[in-house]
Amino acid sequence: MRWFDLSESDRTQTRELSRIADDVSERIIEAFYAHLLSDQTAARHFRGADHIARVKQGQSRYFRELISADVDDSYIADRRRIGSIHERTGVTPTLYIGSYAYYLNKLALEVQQQMPEAPEKAFTLILSLFKIAHFDMALALETYVDAREETIKARERELSELPTPVLQLRPGLLLIPVVGTLDSYRARTLTVQLLEGIKEHRARAVVLDITGVAAVDSAVANHLIQSMAAARLMGAHSVLTGLSAEVAQSLVKVGVTGEALNTAGDLQRGIQLAENLLKG
Amino acid sequence: MQAQEPVDSQIQAIRRDADVISARQMGRRLAEDMGFGRPDQALIATAISELARNIVVYAGYGEIEVSVVRQGHRQGLRIVARDRGPGIADLGSALADGYSTGNSLGLGLPGTRRIVDDFDIRSTPGEGVEVTAVKWRRQ
Repeated sequence: MRWFDLSESDRTQTRELSRIADDVSERIIEAFYAHLLSDQTAARHFRGADHIARVKQGQSRYFRELISADVDDSYIADRRRIGSIHERTGVTPTLYIGSYAYYLNKLALEVQQQMPEAPEKAFTLILSLFKIAHFDMALALETYVDAREETIKARERELSELPTPVLQLRPGLLLIPVVGTLDSYRARTLTVQLLEGIKEHRARAVVLDITGVAAVDSAVANHLIQSMAAARLMGAHSVLTGLSAEVAQSLVKVGVTGEALNTAGDLQRGIQLAENLLKG
Repeated sequence: MQAQEPVDSQIQAIRRDADVISARQMGRRLAEDMGFGRPDQALIATAISELARNIVVYAGYGEIEVSVVRQGHRQGLRIVARDRGPGIADLGSALADGYSTGNSLGLGLPGTRRIVDDFDIRSTPGEGVEVTAVKWRRQ
């Protein structure tokens, strides 16, 4: 709130409007909805006259709060709630801010007309209104962003919980294609799946193919080394395939040595190598 | 050896693993635009990965900035990794191979230093870390 320079004096200013609020709000809201419904994209958000009447009622409460409510936690919570409704129903930020701008303009004009004898006072009042309106918009947009962040995080969780398939190529030989991002959570899951796969299939050799891993750095290499070491303890040799030339070079420069990782040039050779390990 | 101030720069906030990938891609794209060869592009991407990963693991929040720097006729890609995390108490150890306070290979910082041309690290315990690394384009 400090960022918006909102103070008690702004509140005192805008409360001046309370006297004329009901009269003014009705006119503005009528004009506002006429404007909204004239736009096809905006009109899509309304289902019939009942719905419009209800939203208009909400709008008039919103208006009263805009000029006179205490800007406290419950105010903020309410504005955020409105933001989340907008986000869920697909009201775009453009539509939201555009509507607010129209609304604010109408309101400013009203204020100016209502106070012809005190233009300076009208001006400071309008400034105070602008501050509060921007604060409102910021809250609503924060809610939009938060909601999207939540969606992204949920997707990331879903992705990282995607099971890694453990394929049996022939008795004793497993192929595990690793795809996506190997963060520490997924790396742990990979290790568990690898070890369970070894146990279940009584595998003695495993080919780990990382062609589909988005980024290989020392942290990912570390995860792989640990998984392969754990596999070794379970009695299975593992072969790593799918390292591109560039990745191999960077890993060596970073200091990951080839000894810790049993690698093969491509999948085919990896499988051959694993078969040799099975025989040997 | 102070390089000139960058002409333009791109910033990626680092908050979680997915941001590490975004920062990597941002750096790789810039390296490609600047005409770095594919091996160098991979090195730059790896350096960014290591630095960004450190931010996620040790500081939780920070940013990676990549920019083009010039020095005489040379052109380089500069990576700056900043965070406001706990900082590094012992820089000497942090730059040594195999040293890690987390459960890692301990190659992040020394590894990054090996794959870039200029490397500078500043840290005040309690105030965060700033790593600056430059890879010059071979003429």
